[in-house]
Amino acid sequence: MNKKLHVLLLLSVFVVATCGLIYELIAGTLASYLLGDSVTQFSTIIGAYLFSMGIGSWVSKYFEKNIVYWFIQLEILVGIVGGTSSTILFLVFENAASFRIILYSLVGLTGILVGLEIPLLMRILKDRYEFKDLVSRVFTFDYIGALLASLVFPLLLIPYLGLVKTSYLVGILNVTVALIVCVNFKKEVKAAAYLQTSAIISILGLLIGFVYATTITSYAESMTYSDTIIYSKSTSYQRIVLTKKGKVLRLFLNGNLQFSSDDEYRYHEALVHPGLQALPGAKDILVMGGGDGLAVREILRYPQIRSVTLVDLDKGMTELFKSNTMLLALNKRSLLSPKVKVINADAFTWTREQKRKFDFIVIDFPDPSNFSVGKLYTNTFYSLVKEMLAPNGIMVVQSTSPYVAPKSFWTVDKTLRSVGLHTIPYHNYVPSFGDWGYVMATKNITYKKPDHYLPGMRFISAGGLNQMLYFPPDMARVETEVNKLNNQVLVKYFEDEWAAVL
Amino acid sequence: MSGQPFYKKESLRNGISRRAFLLKAGIVTSGILLSGCIKKIKPGNSYKNIKGSIKGPNAKAGHILRDKTPLPVPTEARKVKTLIIGSGISGLSAARWLKIQGHHDFELIELEDHIGGNSHSGSNAVSSYPLGAHYVTIANNEDELLLDFFQECGAITHYEKGLPVYDEYYLCFDPEERLLINGQWQEGLVPDFGIKPEDRDQIKRFFRLIDNLKQAKGTDGRYAFDIPLDNSSADEKFRDLDKSSFKEYLKQEGYTSPYLLWYLNYCCKDDYGQQTDKVSAWAGLHYFAARRGKAANAESNAVLTWPEGNGWLMKKLAEGVKEHVKQGAICYHIATVPNGGIIARMLDLKTNKTYTIEAEKAILATPQFVNQKIFEGAPKRGFSLDKLHYSPWFIANITLNNLPQGKGAGLCWDNVPYNTASVGYVNANQQHVNAVENKKVITYYLPLCDYEPRVARLAAYTRTYQQWLDIVIPELEYIHPGITDNIEQVDGWIWGHGMIAPDVNYIWGADRKNAQQPIDGSLFFAHTDLSGISIFEEAFHQGIKAAKQVLSSYV
Repeated sequence: MNKKLHVLLLLSVFVVATCGLIYELIAGTLASYLLGDSVTQFSTIIGAYLFSMGIGSWVSKYFEKNIVYWFIQLEILVGIVGGTSSTILFLVFENAASFRIILYSLVGLTGILVGLEIPLLMRILKDRYEFKDLVSRVFTFDYIGALLASLVFPLLLIPYLGLVKTSYLVGILNVTVALIVCVNFKKEVKAAAYLQTSAIISILGLLIGFVYATTITSYAESMTYSDTIIYSKSTSYQRIVLTKKGKVLRLFLNGNLQFSSDDEYRYHEALVHPGLQALPGAKDILVMGGGDGLAVREILRYPQIRSVTLVDLDKGMTELFKSNTMLLALNKRSLLSPKVKVINADAFTWTREQKRKFDFIVIDFPDPSNFSVGKLYTNTFYSLVKEMLAPNGIMVVQSTSPYVAPKSFWTVDKTLRSVGLHTIPYHNYVPSFGDWGYVMATKNITYKKPDHYLPGMRFISAGGLNQMLYFPPDMARVETEVNKLNNQVLVKYFEDEWAAVL
Repeated sequence: MSGQPFYKKESLRNGISRRAFLLKAGIVTSGILLSGCIKKIKPGNSYKNIKGSIKGPNAKAGHILRDKTPLPVPTEARKVKTLIIGSGISGLSAARWLKIQGHHDFELIELEDHIGGNSHSGSNAVSSYPLGAHYVTIANNEDELLLDFFQECGAITHYEKGLPVYDEYYLCFDPEERLLINGQWQEGLVPDFGIKPEDRDQIKRFFRLIDNLKQAKGTDGRYAFDIPLDNSSADEKFRDLDKSSFKEYLKQEGYTSPYLLWYLNYCCKDDYGQQTDKVSAWAGLHYFAARRGKAANAESNAVLTWPEGNGWLMKKLAEGVKEHVKQGAICYHIATVPNGGIIARMLDLKTNKTYTIEAEKAILATPQFVNQKIFEGAPKRGFSLDKLHYSPWFIANITLNNLPQGKGAGLCWDNVPYNTASVGYVNANQQHVNAVENKKVITYYLPLCDYEPRVARLAAYTRTYQQWLDIVIPELEYIHPGITDNIEQVDGWIWGHGMIAPDVNYIWGADRKNAQQPIDGSLFFAHTDLSGISIFEEAFHQGIKAAKQVLSSYV
C-alpha cells in the first residue's frame, strides 16, 4: 500500500462527504421549493437524512467480504440515485399525492447509501492507519467536505447550475471517485472490469442528464422569472409557470402574473365579496376563468351557496389546482368541494349554449392582451352573460388597472353599459399588480353596499368599499368606444397603455 | 355560328386566335404533363404527410354539354308553370322572389348534387370553409331589396335611427386585414409599411378620387357607380370609362407608384380574377366607388362573413324554396315553342334517363357559355360569346395544426402577401368565438390570370394534385417560413369558369345588353355574367329582375 493510495482514499472521503451533504441540501431545498415552509422541510429532511445515514452505518456491519468492491458499488449507486433525484422529484411533483412518499423514499435511500460509505471506508483504511490517526483523518476530511459543500452549494452551484444540473454534477463526481478507486485497486478488487464498465456507463448516463437538464426548466425561461421556477408545463392552451421565493408562490400564464400568494387575498376578496355579500339569497354561482380556484375559495365561505360552476378553458390548469398539495393549501381544496362543478370549455361557446340562470357571476379572464381573449370582453359576450344573470343577480368583471390603463378599464365599464347593464366600477390596491379595477354589473339599479362582511376577511370591509368605489382624478372616467367583435378597441387600448409603462 | 353574317368578321379572327390558342394551350399543357412525368420518374420532393384531393364542378355534366353526347330520346314529360335552370345565387334569388309574390308553381333544376353555385362550401372537423365566394359588403342603404333579404335572414337584426344593425356574429371580427410587405405584416391592405412619400401621395390622391366618385352623380341624377350596376348613371362621362382598360386609365391619370399599381392590380385579381389590363376602367373604379353602405353598428363598407363564406347566405336564400329544387338533373336542350311556352329536355344524372319538362316560362340562371350550348335559339341572341371572359380560379382549403407567426400584425381575416401569384388567404376560423383554437382552416385563393382564360383553364384541368401542391406550398412557405410541417390537409377546388371578367367594353357594350334580352316573352335570363361583375348583390338582383319579368309576363 503506497502513499498515493492513502491520499486517494482520504480524498474520496472528502468527496463523499461533500456529495453527501449536497444531496441533503438538494432534497431540503427542493422540498421547501415545492412544498413551502422551509423550516419544516429542512428540519424534517435533515432529520430523515441523518437517521437514514444511521441505518446505513448500522447495516455496514453486514458487509464482511470484498469491502472495496462494495464501496465502489455503493459510490456508483449513490451517484445514480443522488444525481437523478431532483429530476425525479420535479417530474413527480405534478402527482402531488405521492410526492412526499417519493421525496422521503429518495432521501432515505440516499441517506442509507451515504451512511454506508464512511464506515466501509474506515474499514478499508483500518489496516493502514492507527485507530487514532484513522478517526482523526477521516473525520477531518468529512467535516472539511461538509464545509465546502455548504459554501459551494448556495454560492456557486445553485446560482450557476440550478438544482437539476447540480445533482447531476454531484452524481458524476461520486461515480468518478468510484472509477478512480476502482482503477487503483484493480488488483485487490474482484470483478474490477465489471465495476469499471458500470461506472463509465453511469457517468455517461449522468452526463446526458446534465446536458439535457435544461429542458426541464429552460435557462432562458428561468432568466425571465426573478424567482425560482418550481413547476412549468405547456398545455394545449398556455404555458403554466409556478415560481417560489421564500414563502411566496406566484403563478404565471404565458409569462403574465396571475397571482402572488402573499397578496392574492386582496384581489380575490375584492373580486367576490362586494357583490356576493350583497346577495344574501345567492344560491347558484358561475365563475369564468379563475381555474386556480381562488375566487371559488372565497365564494365557498357563504354557507347558503348551493352550486358553483367553474368554466375554465384549460384542464391542465384546473387539474393542477385540484391535485397539488401546495396549491390545494392555497385554494383550500375549493375545486374538490362537492358543490363545485368544473367545466373545461371555451367560455364564449359555452355561454352561447347556456340556458341556466346564475345569481352571481364572476368573470376573471386574463387581461385583454390579444384578439383571442379580447372577444371575451365584447358587447356580444356581455349580452350573452346578461342572459344568464338572474333578475336580481350581480356579475363582476376583472377589468385591468384603472391607473395604468384607464381607457381599457373604462372601456369594460362602457361595454357593459352598452348592453343595458348598470355598472358599479371599483378598485383596490394589490401590491403585486398595482391599483386594480373591477366592474360589477346588474340588470336593475338595486345594488346596496353590504354593511358587514363574513368574519375572517383580511382586506374587505364596509368602510373599505367606500374608498374602493371612489375614483380619484388620475383614474377618472374617460370616454371610450364600446368594445365589439368587429372593432376590438379594447385590445388596442390595452396594448398602447401597457406598452407605455412596460 | 358561321352561317350568320353578323359574326362573319369575328369568326375569321376567331379562326386565327383559335390556332394561337391551340399552340399556346399545347405548350402549356405539355409542359405540365412533362413535369408530371419527371416527378414520377424522380419522386423526391413530395408532400407525404399532406392529405387531400382536387375537386370542382361536375365534370360529367360539362362533357355532356360540350361534346353533345348523343342521348336517348325523352319518352316521359311533365309540366310546370315556371322552370328555373341553375341554383346559384341568381336562380335561388329568382325562386325566392316568385315564392314571396305567391307564385308556387315552379321548379328549380340543378345539375350538381348540391345547390349554391359559386357560394358552395365545405367543412371538416376543424371548420366550415368557403369553396368560392366568401363575403358580402354591407348593403347600400338605397338597396331596399337587399336590405329586406338581410333582415329576413337575420343578418340585420333591427334598425336604429334609420340605420341597419347587423348581427355582430356576422360582421367580420377584428382584426380584419393585413399585408405582408417589405418583410413585415402591416395592418390593412393598402401598402404603407416601408414605402416612399411619393407612393403615399399617389395613394392618397387615388383615394381622394374614389371619395369623389362615391358621391358623384351623372346628369340623369343617378350615382356614377351603383349596385346593382344597371342602376348606375348613363352619363357618357362615366360610361366612357368602360372603353379603356383600368391599366391604361391609371397610366393616363399619372399613377405610377408601383405600390399603388400593385394594390389596384391585386383588387382586380381579387374581385374579377383578372389583372388591370383585362378589366375596364369603369369596372376597376366600380370596385371602390359603388359601395356606400352605412350601418348603426359598423363602419361604412364593413364586411359580412361566415366560416362557410357566402354558403351561409345561399342557404338562407334557399330556405323557403327547398321543396322546389331538383338536384342531379341537367337541362341539355331548351327551346321556345312557337305559340308560347318552352320545352326543356332533361337528363337525370343518376338514372341516365331523359325526360322533358314543358313550362310556360323559364329562367336560365346559368352562365351564357352554357346557354349557348343548350338553348336552341342562341344564335339569335345577338352577342358574341367570345366577348365573355370567365376567369378560372384555384381555391385551396388548407388545414393547419399551427400557423407560424411572422413579424408584425397577427393573423387577420384576410391575409395578403405583396406581389405573389395568389391573392392570399382568408382565415375560415375568423368568425369562431372560441378564444383559443389550435387548428385552423385557411382558404387560399389563386386567380389563374397569367394566361388567357382558355389556356389557363385547360392547364388547370391538366395539373395533378402534386403539381398543385408544388404551386401552393412554396408560396405559403414564402408567406410563413416553416409552415409545411403544420399542414395536415390541402383540399383543392378548380373553378374553370369561376366568374365573369368585366373586360373593356363589356359592361356598357352591346353584347351584354343583347344577352339580357328575354326571348319570345317566355325565356328569361339571370346570371352575374349578364352584369359583368360576379358579386352576391348582382346575382341577387339578377334573380329578382328575371322573376319580376316572368311575373309581369303572366299578367
